[in-house]
Amino acid sequence: MHFRPLLLAALATLVLASCSGPKPSSAPSPTSVPSTSLQQEAAKPRGGRLVRLGSDPTTLDPQKASDTTAAAILVEVFGGLVTIDPDLNIVPDLAERWDISPDGLVYTFHLNPKAKFHDGRTVAAEDVRYSLDRAADPKTQSPVVDTYLGDIVGVKERLRGKAQTVSGLQVLDNQTIRITIDAPKSYFLAKLTYPTAFVVDRKNVESNPQGWFLRPNGTGPFKLAEYKLGDTLLLKANADYHLGAPYLDEAEFILGGGSAMLMYENDEIHVTGVGLADLERVKDPSNPLNKELQRAGPQFEIGYLGFNVKDPPFDDPKVRMAMNLAFDRQKIASKVLSDLVIPAKGILPPGFPGYNSAVQGYAYNPDKARQLLKESKYGANLAQLPPITLTMPGNLGASVGLDLEVILQAWKQELGINVEIQQTEWAIFLEDVNRRRFQMYELGWIADYPDPQDFLDVLFHSQSSNNHSNYSNPQVDQLLEQARVEPDQAKRYALYHQVEQLVLEDAPWVLLWHGSERYVLIKPEVQGYYLLPLIIPRLRYIYLTEQ
Amino acid sequence: MWAYILRRLIWLPFLLLFVSSITFALGRYGPGDPVQVLLGQHYSPEVEQRIRAQLGLDRNVAVQYGIYMRDALRGDFGESYKYRGRSVSELLVKRIPVSAQLGLAALVISVGLGIPVGLFAALKQGTVWDTVAVAGALAGQSLPVFLTAPVLLLIFALKLKLLPTHGWGGFFDSRIIMPALVLGIPGIAIIARLTRASVLDVVGQDYIRTARAKGLPERLVRVRHILRNALVPVVTTLGFALAGLASGSFIVEGFFGIPGVGLLTVESLFARDYPVIMAVTLIGTTLFVLANLLVDLAYPFLDPRVRLGGGIVAR
Repeated sequence: MHFRPLLLAALATLVLASCSGPKPSSAPSPTSVPSTSLQQEAAKPRGGRLVRLGSDPTTLDPQKASDTTAAAILVEVFGGLVTIDPDLNIVPDLAERWDISPDGLVYTFHLNPKAKFHDGRTVAAEDVRYSLDRAADPKTQSPVVDTYLGDIVGVKERLRGKAQTVSGLQVLDNQTIRITIDAPKSYFLAKLTYPTAFVVDRKNVESNPQGWFLRPNGTGPFKLAEYKLGDTLLLKANADYHLGAPYLDEAEFILGGGSAMLMYENDEIHVTGVGLADLERVKDPSNPLNKELQRAGPQFEIGYLGFNVKDPPFDDPKVRMAMNLAFDRQKIASKVLSDLVIPAKGILPPGFPGYNSAVQGYAYNPDKARQLLKESKYGANLAQLPPITLTMPGNLGASVGLDLEVILQAWKQELGINVEIQQTEWAIFLEDVNRRRFQMYELGWIADYPDPQDFLDVLFHSQSSNNHSNYSNPQVDQLLEQARVEPDQAKRYALYHQVEQLVLEDAPWVLLWHGSERYVLIKPEVQGYYLLPLIIPRLRYIYLTEQ
Repeated sequence: MWAYILRRLIWLPFLLLFVSSITFALGRYGPGDPVQVLLGQHYSPEVEQRIRAQLGLDRNVAVQYGIYMRDALRGDFGESYKYRGRSVSELLVKRIPVSAQLGLAALVISVGLGIPVGLFAALKQGTVWDTVAVAGALAGQSLPVFLTAPVLLLIFALKLKLLPTHGWGGFFDSRIIMPALVLGIPGIAIIARLTRASVLDVVGQDYIRTARAKGLPERLVRVRHILRNALVPVVTTLGFALAGLASGSFIVEGFFGIPGVGLLTVESLFARDYPVIMAVTLIGTTLFVLANLLVDLAYPFLDPRVRLGGGIVAR
């Protein structure tokens, strides 16, 4: 998963005619899910092929994967100790149960004896150890192992080449593995749902180190049947899947691109996202497509404009706050963005673990905004306000979004603040944002795993490399560190609520949107297609009815 | 003639060395960094350091270049940074023929329609037909592919349901028709205009008058004397078009879902995927040189006055 260069994504949709199709979108309310009764099970027809657009996965090696495209395929072909269900709970996958030591440091996983690789071999504890160790092996060059497995004792040493094995991994017997972590971090389990921790077959890997993943022996609900680069990727159901065989026989991803909307209307694909350009037409009830339109909830992500809080004029929190209060988020979301997004009231997206529905955010209040600006240290002489440049990423000369233009106008009219826009290409943008060179920048964050630590700690702890705004509040740091190791879930969330409130008061960001409240078209014969805000193994819930 | 070919080809390695060193240096010293693109939101200075060392990017640039060229000479273009675990050759080997076939189909359309239209306009010079042909050519050349592509899709795929919207099945598959048309339309215009201008130039020459005076049938005059001589500048343009064949078109490939090299090239530029960029540049340079050579070899057939390696004989 990566930052969301919001404009870039929008542009890709335009230029490539949404060649990636609908990204696994979000859930209205993922309620009725697989724990259906036997009766219902029998009613779901088996067989058929689901076809949709996709993009070439950057890799099919789970230990090397770091983006959503790769993860969306990998979760179907491989599996780890735990997985996420459509209700977004962490549930057993290869491990049938686990015990956590009272101090929260030692996790003992008991493997499911029914869990098998695609070639029929039962998954053993050594397979898990090998896979996690492989992720930490510097030769594997995993870009994300620090994020997902860095909590395991010994992973850092292994990565730095100071150890030949990961000391925190212990095979107790054929079916049991013990993992020791460096602090009682309750979000550790959530991290194990990411492909970095997926189990691979050593024999498979070593048989062809350069290309084994094109013929992977995974443990997931689907097998990789065919992969033609830039052309198609075909998955076939794994009938022996230990959590229940998929209903579909096959799922095909068309990788060459194409105009998703057109292909959908031509009955060539089953699912497509609907962009702003087609939205009006499809929302019209007289359009036959309207019946197939579904609306997904917000993605687990946030878009924002970051202030460099060390750079004038943003070194004064009152200026930052004023800019947050000076425009009407709700109105822009509805009038300009056709309600494709949800205005952000806080940092955590609705539905995300630890989300606080009581957070009020920045209500539109131009009077207060003007007053705050006047009270700021620049207030005496606003003409002397340092010039402001907002930098945003934009490959291919992306245009400025209408929402931003409206916000810029609001700042000009309500506060008399002029903001200049500068666009740079994504690669250059990243380099500069990592060096914290920007005075103000547009960026987004997509959740890596469902835990508030993944938003608040990663983005606002003063020592975090993702804290691009140079934000530093000792009280926030202290609360975040406390929350990392707080075993009681309710207390932990309360700590994060406090952090979120403090951050909002300090206003290091202009909050924008929880993105991708997508409209998706789904053919009526496709059932069980959950629109989820996270990547989970979802194909196995889908079934096709006769139409 | 063989000596001429050899003499031309001797320069190829030097050219490649020059082009590769410039491309290499531009990548390494230019802004943007493949490791940071790869890491995205998982960036931290420590991880960056580690991945950089693993990819060998922490070494002296000259050393990196030396290693790259050593491997490239052995046919090993390295591993893609973006498509991790995939060799560059693997990424390109299937895509180049796709783009080449598409480009060839487009070229056939451009030439097949462009030359007759140009000839026709020239022979009808000053008439309303000429105006129509020239205006049509100008319009065709001005239409951007991001307009022609969706319009063709709308008409032939969505309304008439005659052609599929996307995909690739090779040179003889119906799916090549629309993308080849979209790619070929601007070429029709360019070639038609060139042919027209060139024919008008030739028509006024003395030898045409001589040909007609000696009683040669008009059809033979047109084909053997006018067209053949008029094609020299057209062939030169074709040379450039031929060289560009394998580099693909990013927009057309995107629109029609064609797994060609154009999309890959643009993606690799944005991702600073140096190994892919280098390979595409080197292959492109080689093709360009070869296409130019081919064009030069074609001249003597069109114009007997041209002697390879000797320059043009005075008239």
